[in-house]
Amino acid sequence: MVDDKPSMEEKLAQLQAQYALKIIGRIDELQGFLQGFNGAQDGARNDALKSIRDATHKLAGSGATFGFPEVTVVARKMEQACVAALEMGNKGAPELAKQLEEMLADLRAASTKRDDVARDMNADVRGERLRSREFVPDLHGSSRQKVLFVIPCDGASAMQMLLEMDHFGFDARIVDHPDKLLDDLHTNGAVDVIITDLEFAGDAEVAIAALKQLRDEAEYKNTPVVVHTVLDSFAARLSAVRVGVNAYLVKPVDMADMIDVLDQVTRRHEDEPFRVLVVDDDESIASHTELVLQGAGMETRATTNPMNLFEVLDDFSPELILLDLYMPGCDGQEIAAVVRQREEYAGIPIVFLSGESDKDKQLSAMQLGGDDFLTKPIRSSHLISSVRIRVTRFRELRSFMARDSMTGLFNHTTTKQLLDNEIARTQRSGGELALVALDIDHFKNVNDSYGHGVGDRVIKALARLLRQRLRSADVIGRMGGEEFAAILPDSGVDEAFQVFDKIRQVFSEIVFHAENKTFNVTLSCGVAAFPTHGTATVLSDAADKALYAAKHAGRDQVVKAD
Amino acid sequence: MSERDLSKILYVEDDPDIQVVAQMALEMVGGFTVSICSSGQEAIEKAANFQPDMILLDVMMPGMDGPTTLANLRTIEGLQSTPAVFMTAKVMPSDIERYKGLGAVDVIVKPFDPMTLAARIKDIWSKFHGG
Repeated sequence: MVDDKPSMEEKLAQLQAQYALKIIGRIDELQGFLQGFNGAQDGARNDALKSIRDATHKLAGSGATFGFPEVTVVARKMEQACVAALEMGNKGAPELAKQLEEMLADLRAASTKRDDVARDMNADVRGERLRSREFVPDLHGSSRQKVLFVIPCDGASAMQMLLEMDHFGFDARIVDHPDKLLDDLHTNGAVDVIITDLEFAGDAEVAIAALKQLRDEAEYKNTPVVVHTVLDSFAARLSAVRVGVNAYLVKPVDMADMIDVLDQVTRRHEDEPFRVLVVDDDESIASHTELVLQGAGMETRATTNPMNLFEVLDDFSPELILLDLYMPGCDGQEIAAVVRQREEYAGIPIVFLSGESDKDKQLSAMQLGGDDFLTKPIRSSHLISSVRIRVTRFRELRSFMARDSMTGLFNHTTTKQLLDNEIARTQRSGGELALVALDIDHFKNVNDSYGHGVGDRVIKALARLLRQRLRSADVIGRMGGEEFAAILPDSGVDEAFQVFDKIRQVFSEIVFHAENKTFNVTLSCGVAAFPTHGTATVLSDAADKALYAAKHAGRDQVVKAD
Repeated sequence: MSERDLSKILYVEDDPDIQVVAQMALEMVGGFTVSICSSGQEAIEKAANFQPDMILLDVMMPGMDGPTTLANLRTIEGLQSTPAVFMTAKVMPSDIERYKGLGAVDVIVKPFDPMTLAARIKDIWSKFHGG
């Protein structure tokens, strides 16, 4: 069986390639059905819809098998839209046609995104191919949050909701009545957040009753629930609070605001692990300290030789240094002083760990740059919480310094610095790097027409979209006002173009609400890459020029630098 | 019941793409003997001679759908209690229960992973015989 694998993989690859060719034809066929749907009346219209349903059903059932998981996702949505429309007697046809048209465009895009079928199963065999990192412009699967909507189902707007949630990186599903809530959770699995309306067929009690039941089950006791309703009475809010509702939104709500709220209520508490460097000349003590901290979920590195400290620092970039005070060669105080001389480590917490119990000596050690003094022997729990408190505060301070307060993105100065770093790294590794300059189109009009509060919402929505769509290794900066920049390591100008053209498209589809009006906002981007543009300044200029060209050519587009 | 080895699988599926990849997955990875039928009608014609150990059926097929095909197969001598598995892209939990009610021992959700399909089938097979 094991022996068969390589040839199985080869055959699979062949099949994938064939499927990739066929898929184009299938999509063209769908386009034909859709035209038929638009042109026809009544019975013929239903037939066209059924053809679309059946064709997308097939695509949904085969896409991921052949390495096109997104084809499955989009095709399934189209199928569901058709099923819903057929069930409801095919009302709201123009709306539906438009949605299907859009989804068909998504399907075309999805058909170009081939995944490795056997990737997960054969990570070792395919390690080589995986290392040549594949560029996935969409979210990593793991970070997608699951959402369950409990809303009266009216096909079109529900579809719209699902689509928008998808854009923002949420996997959403719908049940049309609170009575189905628990069943759905039991059969389809838990979700990260539940969004529910309160009123169903005029009955405002049914949702509250269902939520009470939900809270009675241990597994869902703490599942965040968001209420989204037109009801805005004190009584309604009170009954929601009593069943542990985490947020109460009165319709209409901007999708961007909704996403903000979802982010807040689902914020994961487990952050990135703390990184702690242990410096101790006694190897057994160092490894014991490491074990204690690792037991608390931290990442550690130990060195017994202070002389190679800088190498370890640069390589590991710890968030806290745990220093033995007395070591042969040089002592902890000297080491602290030397570390503080390096600008980039001036702020890192240094905690002394030593048998020294003389307060005066402890204080003098702190003067030279230590932040805290822990006396050995120390209880494990004490050590862990001391480290945790220090690192948490360090992270907070660092994020204030480096980030834009409204969006949480890197600020101008930090982004420029990171660009320098990334270029230096790329130069060493001999790869590519893309820089994207972005600007919201006619942003002044948004502010002038609807006020700055609305303008801020637009900015936040874009910031969030960028975070969702880019990889964690990418750097996103707010350069000021409505200007943003993104640094994409290991990416060429074409990859960056692809990714940002999708972002541009998705952003333009987001519907903003203000003063009972709705509006859309577009985006212009300029893309340039290193080493074609060989220094940070030249690269920035090239990206800016391309952005200018995009604006000049009519906005709402991405332009590559010459 | 003593567990015998799963060897012959009758597979009813109308989508030629899926036919090819499933056949490969079942024959190459699983080492099974697979007889592929493109329609319920064809399955009914072939089944009596083939005498499969297990039946795999797509649910949505033009003409005769999976459940109807299964009902017809059940009238054939020797296939009254052959374990049957539906393969479907529909993931409604209520559907899954309904299919089981129609005499399927399990449901495999499409799109399936070609590398693990055989293992999944073996799993269903031993569960069926184990308890």
